[in-house]
Amino acid sequence: MSGAAAPAGERIVDAADRPIRDVNRDIRAALVEGAAVLVRNPGARHNLAVALLGSGDVRFDGSVGYYCGGMSDGASIRVSGSAGWGLAEGMLSGTVVVEGNAGNSAAASIRGGTVVVHGDCAARAGVAMKGGRLLIAGDAGYMTGFMMQKGVIAIAGNAGDALADSMYEGTVFVGGEIASLGNDTVVEDASDVEQAELEAAFAEFSLPRPPHFRRIVSGRKLWNFEKHELETWRAAL
Amino acid sequence: MCGIAGYLSRRDEPQPVGRILLDMLRSLARRGPDSAGVALFRTEPAHREACWIRLPESGDAEAHEQRIVADLAVVGDVGAIERHHGLLRVELGPNDGPSTIRRAVERGGEEIEVVSVGRQLELIKQVGHPDDLAGTYDVEGFRGTHAIGHTRLSTESRVDLTHSQPFWARGVADLATVHNGHITNYHKMRRIYEQRGVRFFSENDSEIIGVYLADQLDRGLSLEQALEASLDDFDGSFTYLVANGESIGYARDPFALKPLVTVETDDYVAIANEEVAIRAALGTEGVAHEPSGHVFRLWRRSAAAAPAAA
Repeated sequence: MSGAAAPAGERIVDAADRPIRDVNRDIRAALVEGAAVLVRNPGARHNLAVALLGSGDVRFDGSVGYYCGGMSDGASIRVSGSAGWGLAEGMLSGTVVVEGNAGNSAAASIRGGTVVVHGDCAARAGVAMKGGRLLIAGDAGYMTGFMMQKGVIAIAGNAGDALADSMYEGTVFVGGEIASLGNDTVVEDASDVEQAELEAAFAEFSLPRPPHFRRIVSGRKLWNFEKHELETWRAAL
Repeated sequence: MCGIAGYLSRRDEPQPVGRILLDMLRSLARRGPDSAGVALFRTEPAHREACWIRLPESGDAEAHEQRIVADLAVVGDVGAIERHHGLLRVELGPNDGPSTIRRAVERGGEEIEVVSVGRQLELIKQVGHPDDLAGTYDVEGFRGTHAIGHTRLSTESRVDLTHSQPFWARGVADLATVHNGHITNYHKMRRIYEQRGVRFFSENDSEIIGVYLADQLDRGLSLEQALEASLDDFDGSFTYLVANGESIGYARDPFALKPLVTVETDDYVAIANEEVAIRAALGTEGVAHEPSGHVFRLWRRSAAAAPAAA
């Protein structure tokens, strides 16, 4: 994992034994000057590359901790290791690519942009997503897409229990097995147009892709309270 | 929050597991520096049981020690004796097992508690940061095959030695647990165990895990089966680690509410709340993975390295 070559024009920021605030300040300063950034020794520490409000490339040589890329707006972030909880939480635009696995709540509440995980996601990936895309090449854990409101989650592997529980809007695609569906969800075959879009999206990030996706959308029964459907509500709450 | 960490070497020769655990706990200490502790396992069982006994805070420590040693001498041949920070370590020759040892020692007073018994296990803990633990005990120098450790954020019970982790699964030699989370049906389960005569020493909900596992093993379940059963028997949030003489494992609540990351390489298995602890102790090797909820796992030592069953 160590020793990634730095191309010309790439600024190296060493995170070892330094406060994260200083590391983030260096990353921002480099991006403002138009340089790409390679962060060495990230050590799976938290809050790296949060709130980057412009475009530019940031690579992490190793793993990152919680909230990497959170609240960013336009940056292109790549992590050669794994990521902890809340990867890219609240991101507005840009891309975050993780070559390893992601912890709980990857792409939580993102409003735009694309989050890519080459490995597996733990529980609640894409929780409360309000836009954007989350592409998972491996498996996704418990309650993926919980209460999502907009956007796309595509899981090439298997999905855990309570998939897309109580989703409002948006679409979840699954290539593998679904352990169980969440409340108020409907499973359909993805359309040819959607299959083609997924093929293009996975190809864009050089991700392996299953031959066929199923689509999960909201059943919309929980949108409005219906007294005669009390049992549905009991189950959901 | 609490920090928990575990390490299992896949090599036959003893490894610096004390230093590795301390490095992991130092990294996790910001999750809670109220107390710190480790359960360290030596590669081969010693000839004698190591008994760690908590001394009463009040009264003459010397007198307490003498009485405890006298009580132990009734059940076994007493070897080396060391007095540490509120804990007494006594080596004991052939005896009738942990239950007999507990009966002999704990009748000596309300505040006397057998903290652990084992021929591979050394369980040490104290109030404060992991650095303080390292200052009191030679954790750094301990070599063995595996270990688990804890750094505590007290949320619902007192900060003292008794409420610190790891907890020994009382009555089962060489079995210890560390827990991050909150077992919400603790009081209900505790009442049931107390009706059956089980004595609790703390108000810490994490204490129930060892009691529960010891009970399940007593019913004939394997450790794997006990871990699996615990997923449904415990309510609330929990990620806990367990270790005995030959294995290390975890169990995690159905909602995956507390963090858990594992890294497996050809040489070792490392487990912690946060990957940062594993990187701080072991470097960049291996890919970190966080499992989902309602899961358990147990890793055994390599067959070549495992001691013969007692």
